[in-house]
Amino acid sequence: MAKKSLFDMTPVTGYEKKLEDFFPMERRCSNCLGCKFVPFEKIKSNRFGRNCPSVWYYNFNLYSARGRFQLGQNIIEDGYVGWEGQALDAIFNCQACGACDVACKVTRFNLEPLAHNIALKERAVEKGKAPVELKAMAAQLEKQKSMLPDAKKADRAKWAAGLKLKDLSSAKETAEYAFFPGCQYAYDPDLAKKAKTYVKVLLKGGVDLGYLGKGDMCCGGRAKQTGFRKEFEAEAKANAEIWKKAGIKKIVTPCSDCYHAIKRQYALLGIDVEVVHAVELIADLVKQGKLKFKKRVDLSVTYHDPCHLGRLGEPFIPWNGTEKKILNQVHTWQPARPRYAGTDGIYDAPREILEAIPGVRLIEMERVRENSWCCGAGGGCSVFNPEYSDAIASERVTEAQTTGAEAIVTACPWCEINLSGVESENGTFMDVVDIVELVAKAL
Amino acid sequence: MAMSKDFYRALEDIVGARNVSCDPAVTENYRCITAQSSAHYGPYATRTPKPLAVVLPGSTEEVQQIIKLCNKYKVEFKAASTFWAAMGYIGSDNAIQLDMIRMDQVEIDEKNMIATCEPFAIGGTVSVEAMKRGLNCNIAGVGCSSSTLAGSSGWVGFGPSSIFMGIASENLLGAEWVLPDGEIIRTGTLGSDGEWFCGEGPGPSPRAIFRGWTGTAGTLGVCTKISIRLHPWPGPKWIPVRGTAPAYFADGLDCVRAYTVCYPDWDAYAESFRLFYEADICYLAHRQFNMFGRDIKTAMVEIFTHPEKQFCDLPALMEDPYIKEQNEQMKVDVQIVMAGFSDRDLDYKEKAFDEILRQVGAHKSEYYLQQDIEDFVKLYLLRLGRKNYNYTLCSSYEGNFGLSGNVFVAAPLMEEAAALKRKWEQTHTGVAAVGGDSDMGSVSGIGGGGTTGWEFFVHFDGFDLASIEDSNAHIEETAAWMKEKGLGTDFGRWNADARKPDGYNYSQAEHDSFYEKLPQPAMAEYQWKIREAFNPNHLTGSYYKTLTPKEFRKGKK
Repeated sequence: MAKKSLFDMTPVTGYEKKLEDFFPMERRCSNCLGCKFVPFEKIKSNRFGRNCPSVWYYNFNLYSARGRFQLGQNIIEDGYVGWEGQALDAIFNCQACGACDVACKVTRFNLEPLAHNIALKERAVEKGKAPVELKAMAAQLEKQKSMLPDAKKADRAKWAAGLKLKDLSSAKETAEYAFFPGCQYAYDPDLAKKAKTYVKVLLKGGVDLGYLGKGDMCCGGRAKQTGFRKEFEAEAKANAEIWKKAGIKKIVTPCSDCYHAIKRQYALLGIDVEVVHAVELIADLVKQGKLKFKKRVDLSVTYHDPCHLGRLGEPFIPWNGTEKKILNQVHTWQPARPRYAGTDGIYDAPREILEAIPGVRLIEMERVRENSWCCGAGGGCSVFNPEYSDAIASERVTEAQTTGAEAIVTACPWCEINLSGVESENGTFMDVVDIVELVAKAL
Repeated sequence: MAMSKDFYRALEDIVGARNVSCDPAVTENYRCITAQSSAHYGPYATRTPKPLAVVLPGSTEEVQQIIKLCNKYKVEFKAASTFWAAMGYIGSDNAIQLDMIRMDQVEIDEKNMIATCEPFAIGGTVSVEAMKRGLNCNIAGVGCSSSTLAGSSGWVGFGPSSIFMGIASENLLGAEWVLPDGEIIRTGTLGSDGEWFCGEGPGPSPRAIFRGWTGTAGTLGVCTKISIRLHPWPGPKWIPVRGTAPAYFADGLDCVRAYTVCYPDWDAYAESFRLFYEADICYLAHRQFNMFGRDIKTAMVEIFTHPEKQFCDLPALMEDPYIKEQNEQMKVDVQIVMAGFSDRDLDYKEKAFDEILRQVGAHKSEYYLQQDIEDFVKLYLLRLGRKNYNYTLCSSYEGNFGLSGNVFVAAPLMEEAAALKRKWEQTHTGVAAVGGDSDMGSVSGIGGGGTTGWEFFVHFDGFDLASIEDSNAHIEETAAWMKEKGLGTDFGRWNADARKPDGYNYSQAEHDSFYEKLPQPAMAEYQWKIREAFNPNHLTGSYYKTLTPKEFRKGKK
């Protein structure tokens, strides 16, 4: 029988770049429901069995990864649906947290739900269909090099006032690591204090550290998550240029979003720079005995894995293969394609730090590590849909409360902000603590 | 078809504006692309019709109001929970789709060993909640991501655990059921506060109407709650898991043993099924990994238990002499899991198991005795969380040469069926060439009688039209062969009389033309009377086999 294909496809080489590259995946998703639940082997209760905030909140199938695969078929391939109404709502209310992606990859070897979700956003942005709040955010990025609404480029380095940090911007001084605070730590007054604490802790541990001062910019990661691909790429290239001029080879950041952007998204653009999250360095310093905890911190805590440090924080692996069918119809990648199943993210370092602090008792939530529930700040949703974002945060605080812990500890400013001051379903609150605060208390 | 504004506003009044939508982005999302689902009548590249609206009810009362509204406006409706099977989707242009996702609660009555489940409580969460109380539930072979309620009320529901826990019809106790006219029927006693429980009271059995043997695929109204029988579980409250995806392994589950049995022939296979049933030693029994195909099954397990391996490693693995030898030994095989309720119990079961193997001349696969592989099998079969492995090879599959029947009838034909499929794999490119025999199935229900459920997996690419068409042709050929052998309708064609290839319902006249040729047409005439009594406005699709009685067909009444 002569072979007919549903589409006259040119085989994609390497990672998919545009929405059309995902056609085969849209057709090959089998509606198994895996993207709506924690991987079934890891579910511990009916109450906390769900993984995707979007379909958990909106309930219509459209808001799941499967729904978005089918939307892709309807909107691009078949033209049954336009770039309007609930199509846009579903596209932009994806947190880009990647929970669907790792659940899918437990059983499937040829689907990339997260990359597809972002490709839908990118096409919507190209068509000028992004929410106005996100458009404003992107404009702010271009103008002030930050996506935070009130941020001013001139104030970028204020957070570091009083710190004796090497200024690497002119390449006159050098350091092993450049400290890259990210926008939240640079501009939010409370978080700025914590950024300073990170620096002090790293210096105490003997890390050779500098920073770029006013030369620092946004990493652009949020632009990527929200579909503003061009803005992200411009930002990434600008950063890469500055780092190159300053001779920076290694970056340390306390922000999980920045970490992911540089580690995975910059790498995809061919930008080669080593990045570590501050918790990785601190955990190493503790192991090496360069940081010693001398004081007790009597606190029971539960650790919230930030999506971008955990399941999305796996190392980037270059790949330039193609699809090849064997045994008539068995679909393979030649050579083997990286799977990004979420399991190689940064999970142990923060836990090792917590376990090393005298008096701290770590009690795990049900959804942890690669199956962690998103804080609700992902995908720019907290900017244009705060009610939805708060509901997701409330779900996490509720889960944290069931552990009996006194506080939630995390290692991402976005999670910290979004989980703070949010009521659980019982109408009560929990303290949310930056991991560096506990470290500083114990030193 | 246009929907009246009044009808839509009334739906909003019932469920709230955020829980109903007629936006095309939503309604198009509730069209089943049947090649992407195991529909048991295709596969086809077509889609089921677009619903007028999609509604998300949050309670039985809301369901009742929606159905009464549909009767008032003469709009068809269909409810579904997990939307895997095409039978959950509407079949006309004048219909709304109910998505039951908001109703997801599970209640465990530990003392009476009962779970009461809402529609979106899936097997995975029901079993997790039951295990916390030392109990477990039958999960149909379709996998734990499917609705326990839908499987129990609407379909056959065979699975690995059926030998110990029964199939769906053997587990359904009470039900809360909104009839197609909006009336609510509650059978048995629901909830944990009832001291007495029974599935149904004296008199005619509503359960037989409600589900019968194969289930009515949701055509007699909307089931909003069911209670099912739970069964003992001797293991921990939660199965500890080690490893990284996809290589997850049950960790330290010492009260459970998993084996793969290698048989000399199909006679031994069938005889062992009888003996396993009689000895009552199995907790789970399933021919599972053969679903990938006789030539590749061991290689597939190697891939799933080694996270760094992928399908591109298949050719090399298939050439590995050790793996080839394992496949040869496991030509005719089955996976058996035994659970010990005490050390003595497990010892007894082990001895009885060994004796059965001795009697039929079978042996344990050495490959599956490796600790990691055994632990992988334990987790796989106990949780049954890898439904998507049905699809993972090529993206789509449909079962053919499938039946629920007697193992002594099926077993002698297995090699002939395998040869038929192997020939097709060699002469056509649309179906994955995996070695002919790709049979998967369960061993028995608790009712006994030699009943098994099995199907050959036909793996094809849902992105490739030629592959879809080729698979359909192969299933058609198998169905004809089965008819010739007197085996009845192939599982892959069970729904061929329920929905047209274009995804639409059949008319009553079309059903009449099919069912008047049934060997026992009175059955379909009887169901016609039930349908007329329960569903006077014919609002729930064409999955229920109804034949207009002669006197009505001839215009006598």
